[in-house]
Amino acid sequence: MSTVAHAETHGHDHHGPPPANVSSRVDSRLLGIYIFIASEIMLFGSFFTALFFARVIVAPEAWPPEGFHLPVYLALVNTIILVTSSFTMHWALQSIKRNYRAGLIAGLTLTFLLGLTFLLIQAREYSRIGFGPDANAFASTFFGLTGLHGAHVFVGLSLLAFALVRSIRGHFGPDAHDHLGVEIPGIYWHFVDVMWIIVYMTVYVL
Amino acid sequence: MIVIGLLAGIVTGGVAYFIPWLPDQASTQAEEIDGVYWFVAIICAVVFSLVAGVSIYAGWKFRAPADDMDDGSPIHGHTGLEIWWTAVPTVLVVAMSVWSAVALARAETLPDDPDEYTTIEVTAAQFAWSFTYPELERTDGELVLRVNEPVELILTANDVIHAFWVPEFRMKQDAVPGIETRTVITPTKEGSYDVICTELCGPGHPVMRAGVRVLSDADYEAWVAEGEQGAGEGGEGEADGESVFAEAGCGSCHTLADAGSEAEIGPDLDSVVPGQEEQQILTSIVDPNAEISEGYQPNVMPGDYEDRLSEAELDALVAYLVEVAGARR
Amino acid sequence: MSATLHAPAPRRTGIRRWTAGGWLRALWTTPLAFLLATGLVAGARAALGYEPLLAQQPYITTLMVMVPIGFLAGIGAFDYWARYVSGRPTIPDDHASHGAHSWKDYFKVNTDHKVIGTQYVVTTVVFFIVAGLLAMFMRAELAEPGMQYVDPQAYNGLFSVHASLMIFLFIIPAFAGLGNYVIPLMIGAPDMAFPRLNALSFWLLPIAGLMMLSSYFIGAFGAGWTNYAPLAVQQPDGNLMFQMGVQWAGASSIMTALNFLVTIITMRAPGMTFWRMPLLVWANFATSTLVVIATPFVAGSQFFILFDRVLHTNFFDPGGGGYVIAYQHIFWFYSHPAVYIMMLPGFGIVSEVISVFARKPIFGYRLMALSLMAILILGFSVWAHHMFVSGMADWLRVPMMVTTMVIAVPTGIKVFSWLATLWEGRIHFKTPMLFALGFVSMFVIGGLSGVYLGSVPIDIHVSDTYFVVAHIHYVLFGGSLFTIYAGFYYWFPKMTGRMYNETLGKIHFWLTFVGFNATFFPMHWIGTRGMPRRVADYDPMFGNWNMAISIASFALGASTLVFLYNMIVSWRRGEPAPSNPWRALTLEWQVSSPPPIFNFDEIPQVVGSPYEYGVRGARHAILNGKPVQEGREAAPMEETVP
Ligand code: HEA
Ligand code: HEA
Ligand code: HEC
Ligand code: CUA
Ligand SMILES: [Cu+2]
Repeated sequence: MSTVAHAETHGHDHHGPPPANVSSRVDSRLLGIYIFIASEIMLFGSFFTALFFARVIVAPEAWPPEGFHLPVYLALVNTIILVTSSFTMHWALQSIKRNYRAGLIAGLTLTFLLGLTFLLIQAREYSRIGFGPDANAFASTFFGLTGLHGAHVFVGLSLLAFALVRSIRGHFGPDAHDHLGVEIPGIYWHFVDVMWIIVYMTVYVL
Repeated sequence: MIVIGLLAGIVTGGVAYFIPWLPDQASTQAEEIDGVYWFVAIICAVVFSLVAGVSIYAGWKFRAPADDMDDGSPIHGHTGLEIWWTAVPTVLVVAMSVWSAVALARAETLPDDPDEYTTIEVTAAQFAWSFTYPELERTDGELVLRVNEPVELILTANDVIHAFWVPEFRMKQDAVPGIETRTVITPTKEGSYDVICTELCGPGHPVMRAGVRVLSDADYEAWVAEGEQGAGEGGEGEADGESVFAEAGCGSCHTLADAGSEAEIGPDLDSVVPGQEEQQILTSIVDPNAEISEGYQPNVMPGDYEDRLSEAELDALVAYLVEVAGARR
Repeated sequence: MSATLHAPAPRRTGIRRWTAGGWLRALWTTPLAFLLATGLVAGARAALGYEPLLAQQPYITTLMVMVPIGFLAGIGAFDYWARYVSGRPTIPDDHASHGAHSWKDYFKVNTDHKVIGTQYVVTTVVFFIVAGLLAMFMRAELAEPGMQYVDPQAYNGLFSVHASLMIFLFIIPAFAGLGNYVIPLMIGAPDMAFPRLNALSFWLLPIAGLMMLSSYFIGAFGAGWTNYAPLAVQQPDGNLMFQMGVQWAGASSIMTALNFLVTIITMRAPGMTFWRMPLLVWANFATSTLVVIATPFVAGSQFFILFDRVLHTNFFDPGGGGYVIAYQHIFWFYSHPAVYIMMLPGFGIVSEVISVFARKPIFGYRLMALSLMAILILGFSVWAHHMFVSGMADWLRVPMMVTTMVIAVPTGIKVFSWLATLWEGRIHFKTPMLFALGFVSMFVIGGLSGVYLGSVPIDIHVSDTYFVVAHIHYVLFGGSLFTIYAGFYYWFPKMTGRMYNETLGKIHFWLTFVGFNATFFPMHWIGTRGMPRRVADYDPMFGNWNMAISIASFALGASTLVFLYNMIVSWRRGEPAPSNPWRALTLEWQVSSPPPIFNFDEIPQVVGSPYEYGVRGARHAILNGKPVQEGREAAPMEETVP
């Protein structure tokens, strides 16, 4: 994806750019994903800010308002599913680092399926929860935060699917540069995961 | 260098002194605020004169001929200078903050004894103001104050954010739907002023104004008495279409000769209302989007008159329109 | 240069013309996306039984997400990634999409940062003209009290679109465009870190801009560029165009910022330590950090408005437990930093220009860089100064006032350092220098009026009046725009390979300078005297002043014609530019004008500060074996550095 990359893949006898100097120890793509995640954290931050105002400033006592219940335990199950998927993701990455391709594919598949289960359970939760986003500010922030997170799970799943397709096609290898295509979706997936724990704690538990 | 600095200083000073920058001063708050204003103005004039003076002088003194190929002296910095121009602005900034904070606190203080000030509730709606005097049990489209008596204004809004501002009092405060905000004014000068809405609130924003009168003790008492009389006469439940038209702010968008309004945001009622059924007019008012008059946009006319006006008021309003529309012709 | 070595890609023929990335493919993918989106919403609404089937807002929202994606896919912005993620072999990069061989290449997806920089600059100038013309309509309406040409809602639409285009489609991306062109050159890199992402972030811009403009077709958004709730929820459907436009422009901004950060951190030439970076690079480093951290908040704020409008959520509806002022906190948490996003790159440009044309090292280089970082950090702690009269928590006002005012200190350090850079220099009054010097005093006026506004009691009086409008234009026009003009003139020879006409440049400066002050200075006065902002009609007592302001503003608008004429004619027929007309030391001037496709044949070795004018024997870098020294070209080669 970067100049560094294509200089490597076909830097042979080809009048391309001179390879750029590498002035940092961090790989540019890893740095890129970290900066992107910083930006994502701020996006979640704006949603948490909205929650803060609706909950702490407007309605300190009645939260959730009378007649509104969240399926805390179902969401706990979901949390466990998502946390597990972080471990399977980690396993996938470790596998390819040890050049164990079956482990990579199995790990990615498992992670993908766990993530998908999470989304399906959430969809079911939405359809049975008994109120819509237009009910009141509580409902709005609930759907806002979990929906935003759900969208991120969806993006994460797409990235996993891409990595999975490529690993089935025999891409990736143990070299540090050869498995960035697994590592980067992995980093993103861990971020989605940690973010869910925060969302769960603030929206369901607290 | 010094000459240029002085010149720039004199020019800015002259501009500051000879133009009446601020509106009339008609409240104690205005005195506080103007004090800060001029304090900050002087500091800023000095800073600007310095910057402009130095750059003009440097531009004139160090100008190089076009074909000059030399470089300037390689000065990389000067710690002493850098400390100075960090320290001095810091001190000035702290001074301005302190004065501002003190003036703010003084401007917003009310007497401890609730008898020494009045409270007035201000309600803003698209695009009209209404003022409720709880002690007088009276609501009016005009703000009437007693000279030298502090008032606490409690503001709220029905639909979107508006802002209350009387330039002569210098005080401004947003009126926000869902919460109450507050400001304090102690008028010091009798006269008539304008309340200006300064927060964009829709198409009627430019015309959303109301009158303020600051009355002497005697005049104020007279106004209070007149109000009590009015309340006795009017009786309960009976609404007067003309005053509904005025208070609901219709005149800020529509032309209606009888009400003396000439606004052009909505259709000219003098020309469109004649010939319409009462029911049709009522629908236009309570549900403006039901049918959009040609050449106009939906969502411009507020859609909440049904909630804001009582049934009696609506009837009176429609009756009034049927009666007077077309008066111009 | 290498143009001959890189023949453009072979022409595609037959059906391939319609399936290969480009305008022809966009011609069918865009309508396809349109149909898909419409069908999707209609299907979903029918399936879920929502009434009415044809509610406008859900359609518009979905269309504004999907149609741009269809278009982008059509012109080929995603081609490489599509192959990459599906595991097919990526097309071996023949660099056909790199560099421009004819003017047509500027209308294609191109990964060369120089082409992208030029695309950015030209696009943003177009939006500047449109936004400026909207301002001309406003001034025509305001010339006399009473209503003349437009109705109030249309007037609200005028200033809202004016400001949105100026901010989101002109100032911010124009800086990104200049940065795109010069940053890789300045740090000795062959391109940006992610060239394809760079191309994508450019193509999001015209989408965002056209979206905001096309709001006129369905009722322009008229709640100001600040789009405060709940007025925004009441607005005609065009308001959706603002929300989605901001999302696209914001995404573009974040991508570019990410790209800048990664490029600056990982691709500096050997020897280019942080303390040897030109200040423009520092400025963009600080700005990009701001963008990455702050922009998601404006995205969030507009999402909430969107949800409140389309899904009828209650984020800002007090009836459902929402909190109106929350919007303002979230919005300003972005939009105050945004004003520094619109200023810091300008500080960088001015530092380059002043140092070169005064022929002196920049005064206090390290403090200049540190003050940028100080402004960055302080910038996050002052947002509530836009809300002093909003009814927010009272106790927040005084702390925010103090932090606001404290920003004058690092900014002052910069201003005084520029002045000190002039001292004992040998000043050449070329057009970029005129704009840079004009900027210094005009920005100080704007900054000082900012200090007025920062003082709570003064702000209580002048908030939401023309005093604020004056402040806005002194900092954004006299500040940002002057620096952009300085940057355009300064890098014009590098970007086009031709010199602009100096006389016309000077005429442009003086007309703009005078017209600008005549237009905006009196606004301070009418504001304090009692004229609120955002009004189509006003008290007749301000009639004369407004007439004078309007006349001045037309002159100001006309001065832009001189600029446009100069740029267009010089681009086509100007004198060929030497590689280093300003005798500057920074790296972009050490290569030909315009630079070769891959910038450098060999990555330069940086050995010193970029500003060592007048320092005997000092060098900034060694390029192709030649030291870059004291701004003079072709100094004899000295010993090579390890
Ligand atoms: C480029 C954009 C830009 C920049 C750089 C600034 C810079 C500053 N702005 Fe401005 N501002 C805007 C763009 C910008 N602003 C816009 C667009 C709005 C309106 C938004 C809207 O509502 O639509 C606004 C509104 C705005 C408000 C809200 C007004 C209101 O709505 O009521 C305030 C209040 O504090 C403010 C303050 C400041 C301050 C203190 C600075 C400081 O950073 C200035 C610092 C600089 C100096 C002070 C000059 C140089 C310093 C010296 C020479 C040192 C010595 C000085 C002293 C000792 C004082 N600005
Ligand atoms: C970078 C930012 C920027 C720039 C450059 C400008 C440029 C101009 N602005 Fe703008 N303005 C804002 C940002 C900017 N503005 C913002 C943020 C607001 C607040 C909005 C809000 O309240 O939400 C605002 C609001 C604003 C108002 C207040 C509206 C109100 O509150 O009711 C006014 C009123 O006069 C105004 C006028 C102008 C004028 C005359 C110019 C001129 O400088 C424009 C000159 C340029 C051109 C005219 C275009 C090119 C010229 C030609 C193609 C030549 C041909 C034309 C002629 C001969 C006429 N602006
Ligand atoms: C914000 C401006 C605004 C205000 C305030 C306003 N209107 Fe209107 N009005 C409009 C506009 C615009 C239209 C045309 C669009 C429409 O039909 O909804 C309109 C339409 C009407 C019509 C229908 C006219 C026709 O063509 O048949 C009537 C009657 C009317 N208004 C009466 C009133 C009354 C009575 C009030 C006060 C209680 C009022 N309006 C307040 C803007 C306003
Ligand atoms: Cu009410 Cu503006
Ligand atoms: Cu600000």
